[in-house]
Formats: sequence, C-alpha cells, structure tokens
Amino acid sequence: MRNAFLVALREYVENAKTKGFWLGILMLPLMLFLSFQVPLFLEKQGTPVRHFVLVDLSRQFEKTVEQALETQYQRDLLQALNQYAREYASRAADTSGGEWKAFADESPEGVAAFLQAGGKTYFLALLGKTLLPNTPPFVEPRRIYRRVSLPITEVKSIQSIADELRPFLRGEKKIKENETPVRLDAAILIPPDIESQIVRPDRKMAPPEEAGIQYWSGNLADKALRTLVENAVNQEIKRRESINRGFDLATYQQIEKTHVPIIELNPKKVAGQERVSAAEKLAQWAPVGFVYLLWVALFSISQMLLSNTIEEKSNRIIEVLLSSVTPAEFLMGKLAGIAAVGLTMVLTWLASLLLLVGWKVSGNSEVAVQFLTLLRGSHLIPAFIVYFFFAYLLYAGIILAIGSVCNTLKEAQNYMAVITLLMMVPLFTMMFIPKDPNGTVATVLSWVPIYTPFIMMNRAAADPPLFDVIGTMVLLVASTAFVLWGAVKIFRTGILRTGQPPRILEMLRWLRMR
Amino acid sequence: MPPVLELINVTKRYGDFTAVDDVSFALEPGAIYGFLGPNGAGKTTTLRMVLDIIRPSSGSISILGNSSALPVRTRIGYLPEEKGLYKKMKAWSVIAYFATLKGLSRAHARQKAYQLLERYGLKDFAEKRTDALSKGMSQKVQVLASIAHDPEFVIFDEPFSGLDPVNQEVMEEIIREMVSRGRTVLFSTHVMQHAERLCERILLMARGRKIFDGTLDQARRTIPRSVHLETATGVDIGSLRELPEVLSTTSISENTPGSLKGWVRWEIKVRENADFSAILGACFERGIRLRSFQQNEPTLHDVFVHLVGPDAREAAFR
Repeated sequence: MRNAFLVALREYVENAKTKGFWLGILMLPLMLFLSFQVPLFLEKQGTPVRHFVLVDLSRQFEKTVEQALETQYQRDLLQALNQYAREYASRAADTSGGEWKAFADESPEGVAAFLQAGGKTYFLALLGKTLLPNTPPFVEPRRIYRRVSLPITEVKSIQSIADELRPFLRGEKKIKENETPVRLDAAILIPPDIESQIVRPDRKMAPPEEAGIQYWSGNLADKALRTLVENAVNQEIKRRESINRGFDLATYQQIEKTHVPIIELNPKKVAGQERVSAAEKLAQWAPVGFVYLLWVALFSISQMLLSNTIEEKSNRIIEVLLSSVTPAEFLMGKLAGIAAVGLTMVLTWLASLLLLVGWKVSGNSEVAVQFLTLLRGSHLIPAFIVYFFFAYLLYAGIILAIGSVCNTLKEAQNYMAVITLLMMVPLFTMMFIPKDPNGTVATVLSWVPIYTPFIMMNRAAADPPLFDVIGTMVLLVASTAFVLWGAVKIFRTGILRTGQPPRILEMLRWLRMR
Repeated sequence: MPPVLELINVTKRYGDFTAVDDVSFALEPGAIYGFLGPNGAGKTTTLRMVLDIIRPSSGSISILGNSSALPVRTRIGYLPEEKGLYKKMKAWSVIAYFATLKGLSRAHARQKAYQLLERYGLKDFAEKRTDALSKGMSQKVQVLASIAHDPEFVIFDEPFSGLDPVNQEVMEEIIREMVSRGRTVLFSTHVMQHAERLCERILLMARGRKIFDGTLDQARRTIPRSVHLETATGVDIGSLRELPEVLSTTSISENTPGSLKGWVRWEIKVRENADFSAILGACFERGIRLRSFQQNEPTLHDVFVHLVGPDAREAAFR
C-alpha cells in the first residue's frame, strides 16, 4: 500500500508540476470567462458608431424612425442604469429605499414608464440615497447610431441621391460630422410615393419590383439598423391603417396586446408546485455541460496516462520499478495518481464554473440564482463524480493495456485512433439526448459500458427508470472490473516486451496466462 | 551461512523458444560474482526471474531465504541492462524516489541521494533534470539509485557499458566497497578484464544453459596452459614431446606478427599442474638453444572464447 501511495504521489507531483497541466486547467475557466466578457465588451466598446443618412421624400416617417432610435437609446440607458444600480446600490437599502427597482421592466412599456417618470434624472435621484460610498459617477452609454446630414445639396430623386451617395457608402469619400471626417455606413431612403408601395393583402395589387424603403449599406452582417427601421415604420403604418379603417386606436393597441399565457407543468413534481421554472428548464440542459466536462477531462487524462506509460516502457524504467513494487501496486498507484490529477482538473473547472457563474449573476438574475441552487441541491454533481470515477477506470484500463504494448507514441496512435473515434459518439448524441432522454437511442447507448457514464449523465436530469440506472451501473462496474483485470494481464506481459506491438490474438492469449 | 541466491533447475520458455534451460547455481554471501555469456545467452531473462519480474516456467528460486524477491525487495538492488530514467525529474529526486520505493523514509532518501551524488562527483548535477545529463552521468545516477537503500544483495546488469575508463574505475570501486561491507554483488559484463579484476567466482551461460560455475582459477584451468618458445630456424624440438608434461608442440610462427627472420616460435601445450621449469631444463639438456621462453596463463578472455566461442559465433550468424 505504501508503495502504491508513493507511485501515486510521484505521478501526481510530476504531472502537476508541468506547465502544460496548469495551462490546461486554466484554459477552460479562461475560455468561459472570455466567452462571458468578450461579447459584452464588444457590445459596449467594440461596436463602432454607425453613421447614417435618412432621406424621407414622402415626409411621412422621418419622425417615426428618429423616435424609434431614441426609444432604443433610452432602453440602453435604462439597462445601463439598472446595471449601475445593481452594482452600487446598498443591499441593506433593499427593503426601504429600493424604489429604483420599479423600473426593472426593460420592455417598450417599461421604457415608456421610465421616460414618463422623468427618465435618467429621476432614476438617479431615486438612487442617490442608497448609493454606496465611493461610487463612481454614472456613465451614459454611447449612441451607436448617429444620423448625419446629407452631404449633397440638390435632392432630385431617390435614384440621384443613391448615385451621389454611392462613393460615400463605398468608403471612397468621407462625410463630415462636427468637422471630423467619418465613414458613411448606411443610407435610408424613403421614396416620395411610399404610400402606394405599401402591401395590403386585401387589395390584390402587387407592388412593383424594387419597391419600398431603400436601405443602402456595404455591411450585410449588421442588420440592427435595418431591422429597427423596418419595425418602426411598419408599426407606424399599421397604426395609421387602423385609424384609416375606422378602428379606435386604443382598441387597436388593446388587440395588439391581447394574448393567453402558457405555463409548463411537470407531473413529477409535488401537487400544487408543478410549475416549471425557467431555472428548471436550464437545469434540464445542465447534464450536457457535465457530459462535456466528463469528456474533456477523460480525454486529457487519457493522453497523459498513455504518454506516461510509454515513457516508462520505452525508457525501461519499468524494469527497475517492477523490481521494487508489484505490478498490482504499481498499477494501483499509477491509476490513483493520474485520477488525482484528473480530479484536480475537473474540480478546479467545476469550482471556477460555479464561481464564475455566481460572480456573473450576483443578485443579477433570479433565474441564474435559482439555477445554481438547483444544481447544488440536485444529484447531478454526485452523479458526475461517480460516473467520472468509473469512466476513468474503464478507459484507463484500456489505455494502460495499449501503452504497455507500444514502444512509441506513434505506434500507440493507431490504437488510439480507434478509441478516440469510439469516444466521439457521446459528443454527437450529447445535444440530442435531453430532448428524448428515455428514448430508444438513449436507452440502448446507456447499456454499452463505454458509453454508460456519458449517456446516463446526459439523461440524469430526466429521472431515467430505476431499472436503467441500476442495471447500467452494475454492467459498468462489472465491465470496469473485467477491463482492469485484463489490463493488468496484458500490462504484465506487454510492458517488458520490445519490438512490434502484438496482435490482438496474442494479447487474448496473455489473458489466459497465469 | 545459507546462500544469498539459489536457483534449482530453472527453465523459462516463450512458446517454442527456451530462453533459459535448466539452470542451477548458488551464490554465497559476501562475494563478487561475474555473470558472463554471449549476447542472447539468457542472462537478462535469468536476472528478471531472480527478481520475480517474470516467473520461471519451471524450477525454483530462493533469494535471501525467500521463494520470491518481492517480500525481500527492500534488501535487493537492481540495475537493469537497458538504462533509463524519468526524463523530467531531477537527478536527486529520481534517486530518492527509487530509495523510498525500497523502504527509506522520504527525508532519509533525500539526504542519502545528495550524499551519494556528492560522493561520486555529481554534486553540481543534483538539481539538473535527468534529460540534461550525459549518457555516462545518467547511468551513474541510475547506479546510485540502485544502491541508495544499501542493499544486501545487488544485481548489476552490464554496469560498465557506456562508462568512460575513469568512471569504469569508479564503478569497480563501488562494487568493491559494497563487498568490503559484507554485501553480495552479482554483475554481468562483456568486458572480461572487469570480471578478471573483480570476481572471485564466475558463472558462464550460453544458449540458455549454464556452462561454467566456479572460481577464476578453476575457469582458467578449463583450458590447457601453454609455453611459448623461440628457436633458431631448423632446430627440431620434437624430442620435447617425450616429456610427460607436454601434450603437443605446434609451430605458430606464421600466425605470429612481428616474428624475427631466422627464428621459429612454438606453442607447447602442457598438462595441468605441469612444472614449467622441467620443460626449460629439458631444453638445456637437449641442447635446444632458446631466444625466449614464456609461460602463458590463460586469460578469462581465452576461457570465454574457448568455452562459448562456437556458440557465440553461431549465435551471431543465426
């Protein structure tokens, strides 16, 4: 036992000492962190200011578009204010002075209410009492879309304007905004006869080709401005249409908002509390994350184990080792050492994941908080540890056997290609299984021992039948034991062999040896 | 005292191939044994069986009074033929690691590792990773790793290969020092001079069989001793054959480089325990004028070639 411990300790220390190991460990949280932060940063800082011109020859929708842009900006402003408040408002004041929370609604109605109440000034005034000491002043978000004046003097027709704007839109010429030359990103041109180009389904009058509002832009990827204009103008058209047809505007708006909600109920929950929360829906997908974590961890420690075993074999260190420890002690130590390395990796990832999510959502969103509580209270984490343990032993057994018969990593790669291919399957089914967690594919794959840990983990949130849980577990334990037994046999003979890797038949013969 | 190691009718077969064939021998404590034999003679396989790394197909092995090396492994040291170290570990920590596996505490093993490295001139390399060491140095580190726990019985498989002459002497010194403290050393080598200088007894294997087991003197006696004479051309020494000590006389001038013109060189094979002075006396009596008279003791090299020569050559061409 002492020797097994010593072997394990060396494996752990030597692996944990390498830069690659820590890089690997830090990579995942870093990627996660970046995937949180980078889009946020890009949205805040990276999106360049877009300059556009708006020409409304019909003189009907200019105001509408401008207003829509303003509303959009006010929503951004409200969001920024809410964010600011969550960050700097004293928590203790939550019970008494949390009036700012009345503006948590960031929908168009919420924005309207915010403006009605007095907008930013009012909000900041509300907040003023509860702000923590040393709070930095509030910084307004930038206006992303800026309208610039038309760089041409003579306005004849849509066509002539478009022709004249073309070099600006292509970037060949710059326009001036406050005396600084800037690039023109888009042009919104509304033709004078826009009225006749509105599509009305009841009047069977097809609009001409090339009809409608023209949106000129060299950037096809950023559709935000286009969508904004489209929605704003069409909403205005519908509003006018309803008035023209004799509807009462208020009635029209009532109709617009008329709907019936739909609630999701889970029959497996206690009567009276069957309502499915958003957090629960998220939790249903959590196993996918665990499957992926399991896969990545297993894959990286497989590589570690393989190169490690081959080093000992090709360097002939194994001979000295085997004169000092029994093969069983050696293997036990090796497995335990590498398992500890893997666990360090996985636990660091898990912890950083929880921390990161926790930090990101601190008091931010009810759903995320509920999700975290749900995760902590659920059987997902214990299940993950158990499945990780058996998956590790099962795959480690196979890899030790491969490592012991190969002299170089290159030789081993042939075998590893097959293993890797087999290991890919859970990655393919990972996203599909939560949709049909107790379906045929999921059930069948669960009973294949090399997939049991992945698939059962994948199904874990859907409460698979007890028969499947216990049955697959028994099969998994039995096949792990069998694989380890065989691996020890192959290892004992293979590790001292030199020359060509043996054929499969030969290895099977070793299994029968004493 | 019971033998340190005893093999009785040990055989190892791999399929149809018999690597070790019915080998028996015993090693007494406190001596240096040379384990000789041509390539592929089965030496390494025998040593692996002794250490219970592989099991014999038949026969029994007793080591330090035990039927397996495993329970007494902390009292055994082993340096395998093919040397290797963990590339990324430091020199001292490799030595210390193997010493802890042999039962030393971690603190003691560490202290011992530094001590040995200093003593054998590797102090400056203690903190170096082993892949930064030269071949000879890393081999020395490995030797130190095999003896750091001060074993009672040490097996060195080819300890001299890859060492320069100075370090070969250091290796000899290590072996002598261990035996002076009552340890038993078994080492295999292809360099007969080392065996000749160090061993009290030798074991010789060829093609899986033991072909000699005994003292150095006994080994030398397996081939006839001889006398080399030089006479003037045309002198007949045939009459010497009448002497009871003499087995044969052969002219060897042709194959002796540097022989002088006008002189003939002879080899006279003599019986065991023959008195060389009687032959010299007979030469004077018979008026045979000699330019030189040289008594030849066979070297271990001669013994080796004599005993396994045909086998070794055959093996080389197999």
